[in-house]
Amino acid sequence: MLKTILNRFLQIIPTLLVVVSITFIITRAIPGNPAATLLGPQASNEDIAKLEEELGLDESLGKQYINYIGQLLKGDFGKSYSFNQPVSKMLINRLPNTLLLSLTSLVLAILIGIPIGIISAVKQYTPFDYISMIIALVGVSMPIFWLGLMLVLIFSVNLGWLPSIGMGSIENGIGDVLLHMILPVVCLTTIPTATFARITRSSMLEVINLEFIKSLRAGGLKEKVVIYKHALKNALPPIVTVIGMQLANSFTGAILTETIFAWPGMGTLIVGAIENRDYMLIQGAVILTALAFVFINLAVDMIYMIINPKVSYDSAKGGA
Amino acid sequence: MKKSFIALLVVAMLILATFTGCSNGSKTDAPGETDTNDETVKNELVVPSEPQEGEVLTIGLSSSPKNLDPVKYTGTYESQIIQNVGDTLVAYKMDLSEIVPNLATSWTVSEDGMHYTFKLRDDVYFHPGEYQDGRQMTAEDIKYSLERSLELSAMNRLDMIESVEVINDFEVVVHLPNPNSAFLTALTNSGNIIVPKEEVEGWGDDFGNHLVGTGPFIMKEFKYDNETILVKNEKYWAQTPHLDGVTFKVVTDASQMANALRTGEIDFAEKLTGEAVKIVREEANLKLMETPGLHVAYIYFNQVNGPTADIKVREALLKAVDREQLVQGIYQYGEAQPASLPLPPGSWGYDESLESTVPEYDPEGAKQLLAEAGYPDGFKTTIHISDTPHRVKMATILQQFLKMNLNVDLEIQTSEWGTFSEIGSSGNADIFAMSWTWYPDPYFFLDKIFATSAIGSLGNGQGFSNSEVDKLLAEALIASEQDERAELYKDALKIIVEQYPGIFYSNENVTWGVAPEVQGLIQRADGSIFLTNEEINVWKVQ
Repeated sequence: MLKTILNRFLQIIPTLLVVVSITFIITRAIPGNPAATLLGPQASNEDIAKLEEELGLDESLGKQYINYIGQLLKGDFGKSYSFNQPVSKMLINRLPNTLLLSLTSLVLAILIGIPIGIISAVKQYTPFDYISMIIALVGVSMPIFWLGLMLVLIFSVNLGWLPSIGMGSIENGIGDVLLHMILPVVCLTTIPTATFARITRSSMLEVINLEFIKSLRAGGLKEKVVIYKHALKNALPPIVTVIGMQLANSFTGAILTETIFAWPGMGTLIVGAIENRDYMLIQGAVILTALAFVFINLAVDMIYMIINPKVSYDSAKGGA
Repeated sequence: MKKSFIALLVVAMLILATFTGCSNGSKTDAPGETDTNDETVKNELVVPSEPQEGEVLTIGLSSSPKNLDPVKYTGTYESQIIQNVGDTLVAYKMDLSEIVPNLATSWTVSEDGMHYTFKLRDDVYFHPGEYQDGRQMTAEDIKYSLERSLELSAMNRLDMIESVEVINDFEVVVHLPNPNSAFLTALTNSGNIIVPKEEVEGWGDDFGNHLVGTGPFIMKEFKYDNETILVKNEKYWAQTPHLDGVTFKVVTDASQMANALRTGEIDFAEKLTGEAVKIVREEANLKLMETPGLHVAYIYFNQVNGPTADIKVREALLKAVDREQLVQGIYQYGEAQPASLPLPPGSWGYDESLESTVPEYDPEGAKQLLAEAGYPDGFKTTIHISDTPHRVKMATILQQFLKMNLNVDLEIQTSEWGTFSEIGSSGNADIFAMSWTWYPDPYFFLDKIFATSAIGSLGNGQGFSNSEVDKLLAEALIASEQDERAELYKDALKIIVEQYPGIFYSNENVTWGVAPEVQGLIQRADGSIFLTNEEINVWKVQ
């Protein structure tokens, strides 16, 4: 186990380097010049040239790349072109806002989705199963944009129960923030809940029908113990993978949801950065996301090893 | 049997859910109101005759202001905030008819137009800040701020001056290397507000997050992509604001902007487009304010390459489009008027008599011209547009007209702004579509779109170049009297129009959605929001 962890940590640096390099190339390959985009349509050629020089964009690509890597190694993520603020500061400011929404949704999705999936599997072919799977299908297929606007129309405009935009502020009490969270969280929870329900159900079904479950039952073990202790434990790996992916996605923020609800999170920041060709901010956000993915992947693999001690990445022995 | 019944039930629920989306707030009940006979009872607001003190005004901005440092800021959204926190030396009257004193009490211009002497107010104080505690503004501050703009302005907003000389505490002279009649207008730009040196140098790069000026509202907090909070400046020199404060909130989604207005989360939406206009207009509890804007939307032909380089082709394309119908098709809610000239009617360089020289809809004449030009069977070309619903509609209708009347195949290329901007300025677009909006001074339209010196920037990305026009524009910039300048611009306009450079099809309105509690608001043709100055002092009914 320790060997695996050590290996993975060592792999982080080359992984990040590749990610950074690819992002660097892609952002500069898209048409659109940060200086011109930033200054807008009324800028003259001289204005644009002046800003390019200020931002270091008139230097050769190679030199820009080396400068950037050099900065990164010192822990400096550079300054945002559009906001003129240190990128790291901006990302750190934004991340909690996004995590507040996405982690809450994730937890709710786990608490609601997994039990539904288990019950559906156990009570396969009953009305509960049909209804919950149809609702899950609807949940996954529903466009978030539409759902968000519908919720706002019903609960904010018509009923006036909930606010439609913004995050509220702590100064007005935690209740204010919670109230503002309700609609975006509902929006964000639908798809993960549906996904978790469906994957839990299919994974459980696979396990329940295995021979050893039948023999456990035959041996006189209580049904609840059979399901939760034995079946579920074996059904977990795909579920944990999906949860892991969803967790990693939490860092980039739900762009559509954040746009509709004017929630100041990572999603709106990144989309804005791309529209403004704010290379520094885009690169910083991508590195952050890559880091999140790398660490979460590592955590997921470690959980596999804990759930099923037979799984081992240390050497070629054992399964999985 | 049981299974199919349940399946049917679920399907029925889904269909019902789809229909909830279709009814769109035609009768909205504010919470706590009764619904008599299916009609909404209008909440009659009692407006006192005298302004009331207090309350915070919440304004919705449709895009996020980025950097509020006046020498850095680049767009309208920043200026909406900056111009309520700081003041300029001179300002436009709210009806944009003339430039009036602001921080300056009066000014004189030398014979040769190269030296402007400004006398300053002696009752102006900066907001208290981290690096100074609200000291008085003097001539040194004018010198500092204007020279800073000259040197650092990202948009070169004062590139026509050379230096500022301090005569005494309340008098400065600005020296220009050449006469330039756009100078006073440039001074009204929020990029040229007067700022205290200590704060700028103290905060450095962070100054934009801690803007300090002399204006009616003091910046309390700037949360980018979120909101900007301003509070009342009790010591404002013009008059004390009635409002306790102003909060600018960022709401990028157009439907949500209208929704937030309806729920009362914002009091004032500074830009409404499309269906949101209809919703606010029909909503009994909201006010829609519309004013013809200093705006032109146009389709610009490539003047140098491709089929449109031929003037006959350009004239043919112009004749093949019914501009009235085009505007009706794009703007279904009355948000714009049909246009014909490259200047908005509100500009003092506008010449009504030229309207009739722009070709009317004449499909037969168009076909003949195109045949004469060598394209009797039409040709293929591309229009580049940015990805807004308005432009897509426009391009689609244009496509129809051109195919139907000329057998011209118009391919529509949509891109997001950054990409579009690059294609447009490169001179490689056969045709592109743009909007332009700026001051009533024609310099800010014509010089940017038709001067040879502007080629390579997005304004003149299509390569328009005419030496007569360049000469007239240069003369108009130097001339000192507005009447004289207007004549010169009209002459330039005439030549430009005769070249059929493009299709100038609409003038959009400035469209604001406002809650009825908001009183005393004046809408300007340039869309600028000013809440408190010598002419205006906005207040809210409590």
